[in-house]
Amino acid sequence: MSRPGLVLEVDERTPPLLVCEGEGFRLEQLPHGARVVYPPACLPGIRDLDAAITRALHQPHGSDPLPALLRPGMRLTIVFDDLSLPLPPMRSPDIRQRIIEHVLELAAAHRVDDVELIAANALHRRMTPAELRHVVGDRVFRSFFPRHLRNHDAEDQENLLHLGQTGHGEDVEINRRAAESDLIVYVNITLVAMNGGSKSVSVGLASYRSLRHHHNVDTLRGSRSFNDPARSAMHHSYDRMQDLIGGQVRVFTIETALNNDAFPQPLGFLSKREWEWNAADQAAFIGARRGSRLLSPALRRRAFHRVAAPWGVTSVAAGAPSAVHPITLRHVHRQQVTPVSGQADVGVFGVPYLCPYNVNSVMNPILVASMGLGYLFNMYLNKPIVRRGGVGIFYHPLPNEFHTVHHPSYLDFYEDVLTQSTDPAVVESKFEEQFATDPWYVHLYRRSYAYHGVHPFYMWYWCAHAREHLGDVIFVGADPAVASRLGFRAASTLADALQLASHTVGGSPEITYLHAPPLTLADVS
Amino acid sequence: MPRTYAVTSLKGAHVLLTGATGFIGQAVLERLLADHPDTRVSLLLRGRGGCGGRDRLVRLLRKDVFRRWHERPGGDDELADAARRVQVVEGDLESVTGLPDDLDTVIHCASAVTFDPPIDEAFGSNVAGAVRLCEQLARQPVPPHLVYVSTAYVSAPGHGTVREEPLRHTVDWRQELAASQTVRAEVERDSRRPEVLRRLLREADRAHAPCGNQVVAGHAEEARRAWVARRLVAYGRARANALGWTDVYTCTKALAERATEESWAGRPLTVLRPAIVESALHHPYPGWIDGHKMLDPLIIDYGTGAMWDLPGDPDAVLDVIPADLVVNAILAAAAATPPADAPHYFHVGSGAGNPLTYGAFHDHLDAYFTRHPLPDPSGRGHLRHARWRFQSPARVRTALDLADRVVAAAGSALEWLPGGERVQERDRALRHRRGELARQRHYFEVYQPYTGAQGRYDDRELMALHRSLPPELAAERGFDARGLDWRGYLEEVHCPAVTRRLRDAMGSRGAAAGRGRAAPRALPPAGDVAAVFDLDGTVVAADMVESYLWARLGSGSLPGHAAELLDLARAVPRYLRAERADRAAFVRAFLRRYQGADAAALRNLVRDALADALLRRVLPEAVRRAREHRAAGHRTVLVTGSLDLLVEPLRPLFDDIVACRMESRGGVLSGRLVAPPVVGEARAAWLREYAREHGLSLRRSYAYADSYSDRPFLASVGRPCAVNPDLRLYRYAARRHWPVVRWGAHAGTRWEALTETVRAGDASTATRSYA
Repeated sequence: MSRPGLVLEVDERTPPLLVCEGEGFRLEQLPHGARVVYPPACLPGIRDLDAAITRALHQPHGSDPLPALLRPGMRLTIVFDDLSLPLPPMRSPDIRQRIIEHVLELAAAHRVDDVELIAANALHRRMTPAELRHVVGDRVFRSFFPRHLRNHDAEDQENLLHLGQTGHGEDVEINRRAAESDLIVYVNITLVAMNGGSKSVSVGLASYRSLRHHHNVDTLRGSRSFNDPARSAMHHSYDRMQDLIGGQVRVFTIETALNNDAFPQPLGFLSKREWEWNAADQAAFIGARRGSRLLSPALRRRAFHRVAAPWGVTSVAAGAPSAVHPITLRHVHRQQVTPVSGQADVGVFGVPYLCPYNVNSVMNPILVASMGLGYLFNMYLNKPIVRRGGVGIFYHPLPNEFHTVHHPSYLDFYEDVLTQSTDPAVVESKFEEQFATDPWYVHLYRRSYAYHGVHPFYMWYWCAHAREHLGDVIFVGADPAVASRLGFRAASTLADALQLASHTVGGSPEITYLHAPPLTLADVS
Repeated sequence: MPRTYAVTSLKGAHVLLTGATGFIGQAVLERLLADHPDTRVSLLLRGRGGCGGRDRLVRLLRKDVFRRWHERPGGDDELADAARRVQVVEGDLESVTGLPDDLDTVIHCASAVTFDPPIDEAFGSNVAGAVRLCEQLARQPVPPHLVYVSTAYVSAPGHGTVREEPLRHTVDWRQELAASQTVRAEVERDSRRPEVLRRLLREADRAHAPCGNQVVAGHAEEARRAWVARRLVAYGRARANALGWTDVYTCTKALAERATEESWAGRPLTVLRPAIVESALHHPYPGWIDGHKMLDPLIIDYGTGAMWDLPGDPDAVLDVIPADLVVNAILAAAAATPPADAPHYFHVGSGAGNPLTYGAFHDHLDAYFTRHPLPDPSGRGHLRHARWRFQSPARVRTALDLADRVVAAAGSALEWLPGGERVQERDRALRHRRGELARQRHYFEVYQPYTGAQGRYDDRELMALHRSLPPELAAERGFDARGLDWRGYLEEVHCPAVTRRLRDAMGSRGAAAGRGRAAPRALPPAGDVAAVFDLDGTVVAADMVESYLWARLGSGSLPGHAAELLDLARAVPRYLRAERADRAAFVRAFLRRYQGADAAALRNLVRDALADALLRRVLPEAVRRAREHRAAGHRTVLVTGSLDLLVEPLRPLFDDIVACRMESRGGVLSGRLVAPPVVGEARAAWLREYAREHGLSLRRSYAYADSYSDRPFLASVGRPCAVNPDLRLYRYAARRHWPVVRWGAHAGTRWEALTETVRAGDASTATRSYA
């Protein structure tokens, strides 16, 4: 039994606490009385993963064992989560590789020849051959790439299939090969409670026509939070779509949950509580901080993106999506949930260097906003850690940087859309269609390694709930011009940020800092 | 003993005024309209720029000299009434005809007033003009009183007192005038000598070779004309010096005096010689001045700190006189008609009765700019001026020579640096400094005689004229500078007037600097407009060498190409030299490196690896601009010296791509181009042809490029734009007021593109082996 999560109240004995700010971190002395939410200590990973996988495939939930579903001459499509999971990427061998190899061995044993592997990248950028090789392993890559191992193409109209509409009028259009398969085996990593379940196939293999029904301002504002599927309008839509898909094609899902072992040594201090740092952790912190300051931005980014996490797998469960996902969620909660009593006036969040959409890339200002106000703010069950009308204080330098290959539409969104409005609803109604159907973005999405033209809009909608909930948003250490473009304010220090916040929440606010990493899901009562 | 004067009134008189648009002329006109309601006025005005003489009068009446009229209620109507008394005679001093035949007085203010005009123009305006005027006036039934406005400096202010009397010299003005009119033909002939033309062509070629022969020839011809102009100025100055005057202006004014005396002999003549005329003391309002006069550029450069010293004797007299006192003196002299055989001579200055020394003038400037420093154009605080030390001319000349050499060397050095924003900023600063030095040298050469003058201009006759004014008019229309308070005039009237416009301009520039770059203008939709983009440096940050490296390193392991890379490294200086001399030759030579490449393999490599390197190095602003053009219905075209295979990934952005195509034999590239590369001058010719073929309006079309070799291409459209220009294009664009933009804030670095290409190339190679 590992130690449960902790809500620390800062007092005179509390050391300065680690706060992430992009490709750097600082030790911040929070005001006395501030609360800091830590997740439960890192759970042990499963030691014999191969056995666990075999067991999961042979003893599934809500489904026949996988071998019973395989037969000669069938069309089998193995779909797997793309490079947006996990964060940081998993050290080789990736858990998806292990599972896929098991599935392929079973398929071979049952003389299934028509096998295709598809990365469920939806409107994300295509994975490069090197990235695919990392996820599926060298052996699978050599055997299947490029003709039978590929990225999902959400703009390849000939290879999409419209399966119908849900009872709510939502179009369901997914990858034709998958839809016309006898069996889809979905290999998932559930890093946070939002992942997995109905989302896997209905989002990962979908097109813009389908995705726009749940990736919109209205749905996102009604998802409180999107890490709490029962209270998430977005997940309700996923469920409806999955029901429709499940009625037409059999889906056998294999879900995995991870522990919090997100950083290898010497970055292990990032996953520890500060007062438990030993001399080596302290030396590693100083070295990492000084070292990263000495490097040029490009080299620093490269160094950070080379980090591969040791991640332990805490659960492997297979079977019908609806039966498997609750089990996976239980394991995710076991690792991440910390009960928190009451909401604060001010929520503090450190935004790290990585989000699902800048793996091997640049974390541009829109992704920073999405990571802070989308992902981190939504790391709650029941209620946000900050009260309605309170202030969100985020740490990130917000440099005006973009990756021209990966995020071309982001740059145009930043220059052409945000200069006209930052209101998600206005942005959605005025510009979304134009970006989503722009032939140049479509070309880059299909032929290059660009995120889809509409993707920056989704990232902006991701922030919609937080923007509506918070009275003010302040970024500490940010480029003021960039913060202003995003509709936020910039402060140079926490003290300045609290001074700015005092106009909204008074001079003695209650403060809660959601400590991340490791990932923490606050269960606010 | 001074003479006795009878100042009558100009009431009922008919006055002809020449030079009415000049500084003194417009003030005389204003005064005639304001204070002499019963005087008829005729103006000799020539049309200019499609604007007739009468239109020029209308414009003249809008100028600041009539500001008081416009400001007071009903003033505009009064001015319109007064202007009805004004008759315009269309013409100038070269063709004076149609003058009214009842003139009583002629005030001849027209003159070329710059210190160093070309010799033929100076003599033509000042001497020949005066003679022709006299010839025309001689036809009048009754000879009018001619008031000739000269300058005090027709007598060099050396030592002692200069009297108000005819000049003492024996120079034959007819001979000098005739000689001056033949100089231009002589200089023009000289400028066409082969050795001169060869030198000019060589210099133009050195500076503009990448732009092609037409541009080089154009610059050589421009340089020849400039050479002619300089020679004519040098001729003028040298002749003036040889005859004993400081410059061609004073020389021609002196000879014009003599020509007038002779041409108007036996008729009433007044010669009035103002000294250094500056802003008005009282009328039409304190500080009125039209443009910058003799001392004013110097005052401004003192205030900006650009003028760090001017040799001179602090005790020398600087004979300054406010404009309204000069105007009063002219009108008083005009009303005091001399006998036909005894012309009047007057010095209008302050040196005799209320001398302002050069040292005191400097102290007043120092005091004024200490209290009221000029704002820094960057919007950050104020500029600092330097107190002059009155160093010796030799010392200042040495310092100027040295500074000139340093600035020239720094300018040449900058041309070898890549054309980044910082280099452009340095170049701007150098250009600014070069201008300051040129002005300083000009002041040094032109002003020295004035700042070292120990003599003074006697004004006893002028004072006698002043005393003869009716007592009730003496205060308002007098011209005695003895009571003038120099501190009040210079520090509270003149300097504020001279610097007012500069302060306004600097203030607004500072504010603009704070606002940052203006948002790009929206593009007007049109169907017959092209937007033509150069590739290297304009749409992508890379160049041909870099894309070649991508192709080489992306297609296999480094060791396999080590020899090739070494050879490339050795050839780089040769390529650089070739590119500076002839872009087309460089393109042809460089593209031969693709000789022997498998076209299909290269095409695959572009698709698998090079496309992303290209997109990594693409300038996002260029892509956005191209897309904006397309959205506006413009035809988007990419024109490049690169191989067509390599730019294929950009095809969706453009309606047309014009690139080099290489011969292919059996699927292997031969190294020879199918057609000459469309670069340099050829690009402009191609664009003209392309526009004709597609019915496009070049005048409304857009072109974007980064290199000086693209100058003819950019100049061939109506809306050119220099993108990240090299230094020479930057300088040219600045001169032509073309927009200059800096694009590429988010483009990936060379290293990133290269390493990613190598990685992608490896993966692609691996893929092919597994496929």
